Amino acid sequence: MKKIVIILLSLIVFVFVVKSQCNSSLVTICSSGLADNAMYLKELKVRLKAKETGKKAPVARYSLMLNKGNHYRFSVCNAKEFSGKAIIQLYDKDRLLGSSYMAKKHYPAFDFICKKTAVYKVLISFEDGKSGCAVGILSMID
Amino acid sequence: MIRVTKIFLFTIMLSLVYSCGGSTENTETDGFDDFTVPDSVLAEEDEPLIVSEQAMEDIISNISSPVEMSSLIKESGVQFNYKYLNSTDNIDNYNTGFIQALNLGILGADLGYLNMYNKTGTVLSYITSIKTLADNLKVGQFFDFSMLKRLATNSDNLDSLMYISVSSFDQMDVFLRENNRSDVSALIVTGVWLEGLFLATQVVSDSPNKEITERIGEQKLILNDLLLILNNYKRDKKFFDLIERINKIKALFKDVSITYEVGEPEAVEVNGVLTIIQNETSVVNITDEQIKAITAEVENVRNFIVK
Repeated sequence: MKKIVIILLSLIVFVFVVKSQCNSSLVTICSSGLADNAMYLKELKVRLKAKETGKKAPVARYSLMLNKGNHYRFSVCNAKEFSGKAIIQLYDKDRLLGSSYMAKKHYPAFDFICKKTAVYKVLISFEDGKSGCAVGILSMID
Repeated sequence: MIRVTKIFLFTIMLSLVYSCGGSTENTETDGFDDFTVPDSVLAEEDEPLIVSEQAMEDIISNISSPVEMSSLIKESGVQFNYKYLNSTDNIDNYNTGFIQALNLGILGADLGYLNMYNKTGTVLSYITSIKTLADNLKVGQFFDFSMLKRLATNSDNLDSLMYISVSSFDQMDVFLRENNRSDVSALIVTGVWLEGLFLATQVVSDSPNKEITERIGEQKLILNDLLLILNNYKRDKKFFDLIERINKIKALFKDVSITYEVGEPEAVEVNGVLTIIQNETSVVNITDEQIKAITAEVENVRNFIVK
């Protein structure tokens, strides 16, 4: 019994040490990984439940004004304690312009060279509808 | 053995309490009577706002970061000029929550401009003024003054300073909207937007520049949304007057047109980074006369706020 208690206590301590990343620390971690020529503009935090049977996978939607002449970067970071891998997608109305998941490959970021000032939609979901927690960072490249 | 089990159960309970509890930031709003728009001026009881909170969040996100406008100004090669900024000496004149919120936005945009030009010496006085206004509005907790001060004393910390500044404003905005103080949020955003437009028009008036002129014209896309938010509170006389003033700016954008040329986006890999190149373009048609008229009206509205 003593052994079990010690193991369980160790597990709890481990959880404390590893601690959840699904909070503002994820934003700090993700933004600190920006390239030297990237200027932080905005964070998009998302935490979604797993897809329910017979329903569509949950998606977080954001609306962003992007300006002509700017070179933007959409980066994405996942909280380690969740299995879901975030996919960040950029839409102009209903038209998909870019995604961090293409040809079954996850990219940590994608760049968007904007030539039309408009309000764009950004969608964040998790691959295969798994539950997940992530942050998307919008930055501007010099 | 029982004792060990008890300790174990206690630890489990403690860990559950820890993991379920959220952070408790100091978010007191007591005594904030100076600037809270009474419900009666919003709408009849249970009558929904003209714009939902979700729509408001979207609209606020659509107003570009002041960093983008400042970056464009800097890229144009125009020299930094103190005359464009609102003087921090004015803040003692801001004695109502309404005017404090607008000027908090204005100083926030000025901070972006100062940061962009790496004017760390001046940044400090702006941070101090922003902190004062934010404290008056009971949102000072989002500005870590000592950290901002520390970052501002070293020009090598520019990236961190920019990040903390932008992030502090974003956190404050989220807090205000979550705490039914969207009216304050709307005023701060209006201040940010107006000062960005003021900086751009002043720069173009001194040094004509095609890109900045286009960016001024593109503000037409935002004006309706901004007014939509402000109209939520139009029963308050101060809001009504502000709306009237911004409507005068809007009228000057009436004949500014934006046309689009269609094109297919391309996906390429540049230095290992997936890059989407948009080939659809927007073109702003705006005359020198229109720019002059907008510049004058923006200056009028801004002077009314910063006086």
